[in-house]
Amino acid sequence: MVHLQNVYKVYKNGVNALNDVTLDIAEGEFVYVIGDTGSGKSTFIKLLDGEEIPTKGIVEVNGINVGKLRFSRVPLYRRNIGVVFQDYRLLERKTVYENIAFALEVINKPKAEIRQRVREVLEIIDLTEKTKSFPTELSGGQQQRVTIGRAIANNPKLLICDEPTGNLDPERSNEIVELLERINERGTTIIMVTHDMNLVNKYRKRTIKLDYGHIVSDSKEGGYIANV
Amino acid sequence: MFRLIGRHFKEAFQGIFRHFGMAVSCVMAMTFMLLLVSFLTLLIGNVTQITRTLEDDIKVFVKIDSYVEEDKIDTLKGRVEQVSGVKSVEYSDKDQELDRFIEGFGEDGKLFEIFREDNPLSRAFIVEIENGYSISEVSRSIARVDGLKGVDFGGTTTEEFIEVLNSIRKGGYVVVLALTLLAIFLISNTIKITIYNRNREIGIMRQVGASNSYIRQPFVIEGIFLGLIGAIIPVLTSIFGYKALYDTWDGQLISGMLSLQPVNPFAYQVSAFLLLIAVVIGFVGSFISVNKYLRWSR
Repeated sequence: MVHLQNVYKVYKNGVNALNDVTLDIAEGEFVYVIGDTGSGKSTFIKLLDGEEIPTKGIVEVNGINVGKLRFSRVPLYRRNIGVVFQDYRLLERKTVYENIAFALEVINKPKAEIRQRVREVLEIIDLTEKTKSFPTELSGGQQQRVTIGRAIANNPKLLICDEPTGNLDPERSNEIVELLERINERGTTIIMVTHDMNLVNKYRKRTIKLDYGHIVSDSKEGGYIANV
Repeated sequence: MFRLIGRHFKEAFQGIFRHFGMAVSCVMAMTFMLLLVSFLTLLIGNVTQITRTLEDDIKVFVKIDSYVEEDKIDTLKGRVEQVSGVKSVEYSDKDQELDRFIEGFGEDGKLFEIFREDNPLSRAFIVEIENGYSISEVSRSIARVDGLKGVDFGGTTTEEFIEVLNSIRKGGYVVVLALTLLAIFLISNTIKITIYNRNREIGIMRQVGASNSYIRQPFVIEGIFLGLIGAIIPVLTSIFGYKALYDTWDGQLISGMLSLQPVNPFAYQVSAFLLLIAVVIGFVGSFISVNKYLRWSR
């Protein structure tokens, strides 16, 4: 699903964000990416969703060389990946239903199909009761579930989560990871960047650790125990 | 297709209402610009009409030398016709010249009937020229043709007047163009601020895979719509204001010597022109600013 080969990323200001990173993530995997601030986690995500291109090396997602993707093809590419952010990024003037439907509207899906899919997604994220609520009327955990709902609305093969539990208490964080596990069970590959070592220890997955742009460890599922 | 258009229109209208203050300032700027454009276009249209009327009336009288034989007149006429800037040449023999001379004096002209027997007037060419403002230059060129003894075009006053009218017309075009560019700048700036305010929304749209054209279209529709709203008052002013002015002056200037453009179709043509400008300004202004934004980030 994801293939990085000798990837380097140097920003214009000279910051060396990734150094010779090589890794493979298979379809259906659930992978944590951990590391301190400035370790290159955000750059890794930006390379995967096409926001940045590598200075050197190959970034391939689902067989597509993202670094060589033409500017005009990026939107089409993004329809096959979902991204979840720490700060939710919901549209405050739209209801829960509309926020999820929005992801399908912008790619011009028919109304009936949108209705059907949003209903399914609401069940997955367990928010059928909050369809007409606005984001400001929801708790942090609920908002993050809506964000996840929006990210999976288009049935992406890859879901990238950038610190999805960063703003949540431990209980809500557990709910989010459990939700991601359920989504993963349906076949979606999940890459989750996190700082939360309690979660990493509780829900043991393959864990890639970045440090100063290098992969310093890549532990198989269950093999990594973080210092909390 | 229709579903997509419907969504874009919905987004565009939502955009206007969500940023109402911005939309109002944009419409006001547009209205002010188009009012000026409307005034100038009405002025240019009438100046053009007046210039044409004057130019049609301008004729150059060219006296033919007495030694030129009758059978050489056609050749000479051909030479005058070849002079650059000459539109047409009409030959007037001695008798026609006397008729014209007598007519010019009205009732008193009968006194000159005595010259019928021994007509002292010269034969002449009555020359129409293409552009009134080049009358003296053309006259000088005609005067250089052999066989002619004098050229009379009524002095430089008419020429100067036409030149002034032409300057007004040209200046008007420049100002209309400058105002249009200024309006494009204003509307693109307003849309840019609107876009900045919707930064987050656009970011999300990009993240979930909306194409640039999908993001751009509601803004472009919004721009065109703001342009059209801004054109309402100028269009009404063009039609009813001009009609009122036309009726007040009875469609004429300087005691009937010069006539104004009739309300129908002129005022309607100006209105259509204003609507066209409004659409172009709205389209170009919003297109430029949204494109700039879409280029900033991947």
